[in-house]
Amino acid sequence: MATAPITSSEDPAPAAPAPATGRPSLTGFKLRRKSYSWALLCIMVIVAVIMLYPFWYMIDNAFRSADQFDRQSGHSFAGWHELFANLPVASQLLNSTLVCAAAILIILAVSTTSGFAFAKLRYRGSGTVFLLVVSALMVPLQSIIIPEYVNLAKFDLTDSYAGAVLVYAALGTPFATFLMATYYRGISDDLIEAAVMDGLGYERTFLRIALPLSLPAIATVTVLQFIQIWDDLLVGLLFLPTNQRTITVGLATLSAGRTTSIPALMAGSLVSAVPAIIVYLIFQRYLIRGLTLGMGK
Amino acid sequence: MSRIELDSVTKRFGDGTVAVNSLDLAVGDGEILVLVGPSGCGKTTALRMVAGLEEVTSGTISIDGRPVNDLEPRHRDIAMVFQSYALYPHLSVYDNIAFSLKYRKISKNDIKARVAEAARILELEPYLERKPRQLSGGQRQRVAMGRAIVRQPRAFLMDEPLSNLDAKLRVQMRAEIGQLQRSLGITTIYVTHDQTEAMTLGTKVAVMSGGVLQQIAAPADLYRRPANLFVAGFIGSPPMNLVDATLERADGGSPDVVFGPHRLKVPAPVVDGHPGLDRYLGKPVVFGIRPEHLSDATFAPDGEARSVIDLPISLREELGSEVQVHAAIGTSAHIGTGEADEVRSLATLIAKMDPRTTVEVGHTAAISVDCGQLHFFDPESGLSIRGQC
Repeated sequence: MATAPITSSEDPAPAAPAPATGRPSLTGFKLRRKSYSWALLCIMVIVAVIMLYPFWYMIDNAFRSADQFDRQSGHSFAGWHELFANLPVASQLLNSTLVCAAAILIILAVSTTSGFAFAKLRYRGSGTVFLLVVSALMVPLQSIIIPEYVNLAKFDLTDSYAGAVLVYAALGTPFATFLMATYYRGISDDLIEAAVMDGLGYERTFLRIALPLSLPAIATVTVLQFIQIWDDLLVGLLFLPTNQRTITVGLATLSAGRTTSIPALMAGSLVSAVPAIIVYLIFQRYLIRGLTLGMGK
Repeated sequence: MSRIELDSVTKRFGDGTVAVNSLDLAVGDGEILVLVGPSGCGKTTALRMVAGLEEVTSGTISIDGRPVNDLEPRHRDIAMVFQSYALYPHLSVYDNIAFSLKYRKISKNDIKARVAEAARILELEPYLERKPRQLSGGQRQRVAMGRAIVRQPRAFLMDEPLSNLDAKLRVQMRAEIGQLQRSLGITTIYVTHDQTEAMTLGTKVAVMSGGVLQQIAAPADLYRRPANLFVAGFIGSPPMNLVDATLERADGGSPDVVFGPHRLKVPAPVVDGHPGLDRYLGKPVVFGIRPEHLSDATFAPDGEARSVIDLPISLREELGSEVQVHAAIGTSAHIGTGEADEVRSLATLIAKMDPRTTVEVGHTAAISVDCGQLHFFDPESGLSIRGQC
């Protein structure tokens, strides 16, 4: 019986034409892949334009006077003059910065330590406590804002930065703790145990090993909380006295009566947006790593 | 340097799982004890208890006669090398090695000198400024070793430190670890599932299964005189052939081992060496024979203790220096429980033969059995019949 010749793996493949089996050829695949890439690019461009247009509109109109805005031609600093005449921009920017910094510091202090404890320390009830903390994420701010106000008022904390800082910290901590715990779970237990064997207690292991390794997660928490707190209106409006208002609250009050100039409002919005953009640009490298944590090796 | 003792140490986890059951071990000063066993046998848990990373449920762990059950890991003065190396990724090689010294109130000059010495021994000098991610697997392993030796601890604990390396590097690093341990003379407990590592590195080897110590002995003793079926099947590659048989006395002389249609004469010295064997006459036993004690009759040395049996060959594996041959025995091999027993259910004998052998698959070959090397086990308890006497 005739048997088919056995070819070794080193034999050159026969240069026969591809059989017409109805399967797409390699060129067909390439063409399809290229068309897919182009289609994807077009969609992304459209999305980018939709997302960036308001930003462009804000920049363009921030440098106009009211007349120029009506005519939609010409540029000037009139809107900026009006903004600075009606709003203590510098002090409100400072207020925003102080409130943000203090709240983020508290959030980071609590979330890094508790995240480490949830992820790496074994103790009874750890899972339940973690679930309770995370379940706080489900509670909408609006439903607790009145009790929060009443409670803080009892401690005379509604007339200073402290009240707003504490509320922001309380609102941001559950998510930050969840993120940090997830991040720390991704750090090998061996690493923590190696530090313990090297003579460190859990406290110093946290400070010397876990904390430096969690910089991407810390950056993520910082950026997300910064944007959240910087842009928030409700808490700032309720818990901060007039002389300690943040820029977001200031802009809201500006549009609520002091001026109807759109260029001035656009200039204010630009001033308000720039710090968040700067923070994002500084931390974006870590942010992506932080947001995609746990998605792979 | 120090002596480590485990006295009836048990570890029971919260869900009731007993990972280590009443473990008794003693590691002498400067010795290297290898804990070996299949996955989940409790060897790593035992090591972690010595390290202080797991609490002991009952029993006592002592270092130099002092119980350390309640001592925190940092106060035990023990260095550990992890399977994953556990190098601090944000620190340079220098800082990784120096890390533990910085927290022990050691002067900067002393730290520098010790790190330099460790780097010299481990040939890490060119890499001291690099981060762990810039190193190869072997170099990372060396850094992990450096981090351990620089402390000059009372004992080393090593948890499968070579398992992440490729086969060639593993052989090289195995030799280096052995040399290093001998030159430093530091008491070491080494955990592995690789019996070759266990046999080559250990002053003593402790075989564990199901959280229970099966046997602790010098490597050669473990190989030559396994205490039970588990050890017999676990130590050696390929493992010992274990066959269900009966013991019969045909002519009033030495007994015969009968399995299927085959009969092997047990030489008098073997009977003398197994004083309990007489009690099994007419009863089932499990006999064991190492693959190297089965050979092609054509190339087998002459000897009274040898018997020849004809077996059909089912598989032939060329290994260069030898040929491994699987031969069907026409009866059931001993089937027990546990990982090491899986091989035995194949009902074949594995023989290591001379590379010149011409035996072929599908043919019957005359196989010479060195009956002087037979082992006998109780089929119920699994214990070596010699071990019972």
